[in-house]
Amino acid sequence: MRSIYRVTKYAFQDLGRNFGLSSMTVFILILMLLSVNILWSVDILTQQATSIVKEQINISLYFKAEATDDNLTEIKKYLSILPEITEMTLVNRQEVLESFKIRHQMSKEVLSALEELNENPFGPTLIIKTREPEDYKKVLQAVDVPEYDALIETKSFEGNEEGIEKLQNITNRIERVGFGLAALFAIISFLIIFNTVRVAIYTQRIEISIKRLVGASTWFIRGPYIVEAFVFALLSVAITFGLIYLGLRFLDPYLSIVFSNGFTLTNYYNSHIIWLVGIQFVSVLLLTFVSSGLAMRKQLKV
Amino acid sequence: MIKLEGVTKIYSTESVGLRDINLHIKAGEFVSIVGQSGTGKTTLVRLLIAEEKPTKGKIVIGDWDITKIPAGEIPYLRRQIGVIFQDFKLLPKKTVYENVSFALEVAGEKSTHIEKIVPQVLDIVGLGNKMNRYPRQLSGGEQQRVAIARSLVHRPKIIIADEPTGNLDSLNTVEIIEILKKINEFGTTILLATHNREIVNELRRRVITLRGGEIVSDEITGKYRL
Repeated sequence: MRSIYRVTKYAFQDLGRNFGLSSMTVFILILMLLSVNILWSVDILTQQATSIVKEQINISLYFKAEATDDNLTEIKKYLSILPEITEMTLVNRQEVLESFKIRHQMSKEVLSALEELNENPFGPTLIIKTREPEDYKKVLQAVDVPEYDALIETKSFEGNEEGIEKLQNITNRIERVGFGLAALFAIISFLIIFNTVRVAIYTQRIEISIKRLVGASTWFIRGPYIVEAFVFALLSVAITFGLIYLGLRFLDPYLSIVFSNGFTLTNYYNSHIIWLVGIQFVSVLLLTFVSSGLAMRKQLKV
Repeated sequence: MIKLEGVTKIYSTESVGLRDINLHIKAGEFVSIVGQSGTGKTTLVRLLIAEEKPTKGKIVIGDWDITKIPAGEIPYLRRQIGVIFQDFKLLPKKTVYENVSFALEVAGEKSTHIEKIVPQVLDIVGLGNKMNRYPRQLSGGEQQRVAIARSLVHRPKIIIADEPTGNLDSLNTVEIIEILKKINEFGTTILLATHNREIVNELRRRVITLRGGEIVSDEITGKYRL
């Protein structure tokens, strides 16, 4: 207990008396954590953007006017067994007509032609959403049977396949590049933190060997650095997240314009705060432990 | 107290630190190890504090064979021996008081005992009024006195001084040697490695002379003969 108290006392003494070096170490840790978090946020935003784009893609089955409610119920029941389908919305004939009128309210010729028909020429529409854009092919294959051919006028997805595939390729590539960049930054951060701690220990190499010569045990020498690593990790993570939340206050109003689904990074950080803080705190702590341990090995041999 | 039997330290084929050293130093002795630079004085000191291990031979301090001492036991050995270095080896970011108290704190001494003993020891070396200064705020002689206080504070039976006056002027040299003599009068064994002729001749104590890593003379009341 006494030695824990003394080790903690030495740690805080060292932090105070090496204030410049301690501040520089924390500053570099903050810079690296900020970089990782910025990249992380960009990755989250990319994922959000691609998922929004994916959500915009759907397949519409336009039925002929003769299609009955029983026909539609049967097709819906048949399609509902496909696990790729996440949502099916049936728009009835009347709603299709209303929607058509709204779309063409500025075009008197189209509306008068519709009047002349004296009946609703539209059939119902089934709007289908799938988990991934490539799943639409399976849905199309499923409805591409002779008994449904007579009921379905057209399928909106046909002809868009090439565009959807390109979009899928782009989003996949963006996700891969994002992951690659995050990994690269993690490695760079690791190396910078590792070397920062090593430099900090290196400047104290003479002190470490003196402590050894006057009979300090390994624990007595390493202990303060462990406490310091804990303080560095705590301070750097706390300041980093303080700065992140400050930045998000300015960024979120712009994001809410881009993301109409109400997504904000503040909400994301709030809902993942324990995981984000925990993983970064543990990473910095482990990294500083390992770096200081490796840097001290030589001095402790005295 | 200190026994060396056939101790040899070889760094490489061209560099031999010590060669077949046989030595017995009794409790309470004041022994000067003399010799020119590179004759093995510092190697001997390093072997005695287990900073290095002998290539051959056996070193016994008290009843403790330190020849093959495990790394974990080295701190305990060093707490039994007070060591004074030429370059003082003080902790620059600690005050005079903290430098001295550190030697007791690493040994797990109670804070109340430390608070009582450290000012007393600093008074003995004449630094009672400079406890809160940092080493950089002291003269060379004062820094060496802090180092002596640190080596003395845990009441070791042996003090090893490796060229303690090497960086000091003649006035400070005399003061440091006087302090060491006083410590010896209280029964502490002193091993002084030096190449300062005046000190050795003035002391008129046991002198062991090294040359080329070997003992060339060992006189009970010796003089500097190189």
